[in-house]
Amino acid sequence: MDFLHQPVELTLDQCIKCNICVTKCPVSPVTDLFPGPKYEGPQAGRFRQPDGFSPDKSVDYCSGCRVCNMACPTGVRIAEINARARARMVSQGKFPWRIRLRNNLLARSELLGKVGQPIAPLANLVLANKAIRWGMDVVLGIHRKAPLPAFSGRRFTRWFHRRERPEHRTRQVVYFHGCATEYYEPRIGRAAVQVLEANGFEVIIPSQNCCGLPLLSNGEFPAARRYHANNVRHMVEYARRGIPIVGTSTSCTLTIKEEAPELLDFYSEDARLVARGTFDMNEFLLELWEAGTLNMDFQALPLTLAYHAPCQYRAHRLGRPAVDILGLIPDLNILESKADCCGIAGTYGYKTEKYQIGMDVGIPLFDFARQASSPVVICDSETCRWQITHGTGIPSIHPIELLAMAYGVPPEGALAEVMKIS
Amino acid sequence: PGVRTPPVTDVLVIGAGLAGLVAGWQAAERGLSTIVLAKGWGATHWHAGCIDVLGYDPAGSETPVESPTEAVAKRVRDNPDHPYAIIGLEALAESLEAFKALCARSGYPLQGSLERNWLLPSALGTARPTCLAPETMIAGDLRRRDPMLLVGFEQLPDFFPGLAAENLVSLGLLANAITLDLPSLRARRFVYPSILAQLFESQAFREEVVAALKPRLGESGRVGFPAVLGVHDALGVKNDLQDRLGIEVFEIPGLPPSIPGIRLHNLLVAAIEQAGGRVYNGMQALSAETDGSRILSVLSEAAARQKSNRAGKFVLATGGVLGGGFIGNPQGELLETIFGLPLAAPDGRDRWFSQEFLDPQGHPLFRSGLRVDANLKPVDESAQVLHENLFSAGTCLSGADYLVERSFEGVALATGFTVGKNV
Repeated sequence: MDFLHQPVELTLDQCIKCNICVTKCPVSPVTDLFPGPKYEGPQAGRFRQPDGFSPDKSVDYCSGCRVCNMACPTGVRIAEINARARARMVSQGKFPWRIRLRNNLLARSELLGKVGQPIAPLANLVLANKAIRWGMDVVLGIHRKAPLPAFSGRRFTRWFHRRERPEHRTRQVVYFHGCATEYYEPRIGRAAVQVLEANGFEVIIPSQNCCGLPLLSNGEFPAARRYHANNVRHMVEYARRGIPIVGTSTSCTLTIKEEAPELLDFYSEDARLVARGTFDMNEFLLELWEAGTLNMDFQALPLTLAYHAPCQYRAHRLGRPAVDILGLIPDLNILESKADCCGIAGTYGYKTEKYQIGMDVGIPLFDFARQASSPVVICDSETCRWQITHGTGIPSIHPIELLAMAYGVPPEGALAEVMKIS
Repeated sequence: PGVRTPPVTDVLVIGAGLAGLVAGWQAAERGLSTIVLAKGWGATHWHAGCIDVLGYDPAGSETPVESPTEAVAKRVRDNPDHPYAIIGLEALAESLEAFKALCARSGYPLQGSLERNWLLPSALGTARPTCLAPETMIAGDLRRRDPMLLVGFEQLPDFFPGLAAENLVSLGLLANAITLDLPSLRARRFVYPSILAQLFESQAFREEVVAALKPRLGESGRVGFPAVLGVHDALGVKNDLQDRLGIEVFEIPGLPPSIPGIRLHNLLVAAIEQAGGRVYNGMQALSAETDGSRILSVLSEAAARQKSNRAGKFVLATGGVLGGGFIGNPQGELLETIFGLPLAAPDGRDRWFSQEFLDPQGHPLFRSGLRVDANLKPVDESAQVLHENLFSAGTCLSGADYLVERSFEGVALATGFTVGKNV
């Protein structure tokens, strides 16, 4: 029997009610609105009949961080049970239209980028305006303080397609940049491309859509399915040819590898091929190291920096690839966060009714970051980076930026500031 | 740089119950690069957070063991296949001392010795023989005759002080029960042990408890709480309550999730990480790659594909059926799930269980496990070592029904310690 691909709802039969998940959930200790993973997942799951109603709206307060899955000794897919229960409530019209509208706005990161990025200076001015943010809070339910990122003046792919390609490439790799790199943080894509090129790769960037995770975590499954189908269509040919697909946004890569197929029951042969061919950036670099083909020509970086592994990264179930890879940079000292989750959980912490929960969940991480007195905090996921900066005032960078710098690429943004000071 | 490929991990421990964590701690302390791989968190979150070395001898006896030293010596003579017989009594004593020292260093001292078992109350009010108990529990000693007051909370459905007190009275002890209905708990929709443990760490909540409880102490000589007196500084919480109430305080462990077990889990994980080791959860070990005599790597479950975990030596500490180490199939075979190791097990499904559900001797199935050599390497029926770099520890070993004889944590600790020290 294939235990690993049984429908998520069936895994609730493996629950032995030991409550370990309840002791690890970061959400339920800070709010009474979420009764905890055991009650919401396997327990309430027994009352969710295939065509019936979902018994409890509190399932919407699951942030989907998956800390429960990782703690469960019997393999119950609690976070996925919750995500699918939420999707059914959405499809049954259990959420008021204003909430649906708000959720769809937050979850359409690609659409937002397409609209906002071309008018970045104006859009950023508007989104930084307190009165407008207050209005968005009251009318839409997007919290006035939540850390909306600033649009970049230039898209990542514009930079990529206009630059000169290095010659004599011996191997190829597909880069999945995701919406955040494309519209908000193109410096991360630039670092990724240059790290891959420093390892002799020709970088290919096929047409791509949002990975669909924000839609999945808002229960908007049909729209997420369309995105995923497009991505599979655009990338399957590379997967078939054995060209690895690598991403710097750890939640995008997890979605392509596992979340989209599992939540949507999207197990076509093509979707499987793409999932199996997709790698998180550090995971990929580690594989190069293990194969003896990683460029080891790193310059020393005499820095002590704090690192937080996002819950989405841990959910890849690979250990700590970022720490292992950063460990190759001479003189770089990494302080690891033990915090489970930053609290923002994608779109969760942006919502008016959930903002405070997200901030309370983040307290252990914020405390760690402040005490580490690290000039920047390293983190693999974009919304986590924005939340960390929002909670602490400390800028946050992706590990790939340090690797690029160690290969001699001039740093950008917050990292450039740090290097100027030190 | 200069190193073209990553160094191979020295020791990969599979399982993060007491045995796995202790093995990982000892290996890491010796300077070996160590990774503990676990499907999820396990046995530490289920047991009482005490170290039972031997509670009943023979298994099923009604009289608790007074002195583990003598009883273990006798048990080992009667049963040469017992893990204690394989590792020896000195190793058992050494592991207990080392673990006590670690707990003391971590600010959470365990009390007791092999000379004499404690007799402590269970959540049902029965007597529980155990060798080492945290300092937060020992004022519950049932050999003392001074009257106890057991305290529950209206909103906590996991502990019924009235039931426990009634059973203690039937044992001839003086016990009373009281249930507190505190405003700060009434304001919550959910109160679980982990929430209470978090609350007890705040002084404001302790003051609220003391204000409600102190006027109602009556003639009691000591006060028993469910074991929820904080996770990070339980000793400090207990001492503070004791000072404020002016009377001795103790904890009674109850249903999972076990807060005292989580404390042991936390201090072991911290010790492993401090020694440079790593503990990864959510990574279920599925199978192994071997070259026949040696294990090369263990494959673990991961998103989209399996992850290969290479190491020089491997320690199997996945427990039995409940821990996920063994699985039974409808054909009546009991299988070790990762390496497919042969098990000493009853022959056929109809011999798995005794006639009576609550048979004092337990069920034959739960005496199943791995046969091992003197180095705790799994062996086949003819005592040949199966893989030269594979070791095992904990209750996946055959030899006894550890729950029935009450040696569960003792076997886990002592075998985990021995493997970690010698691997």
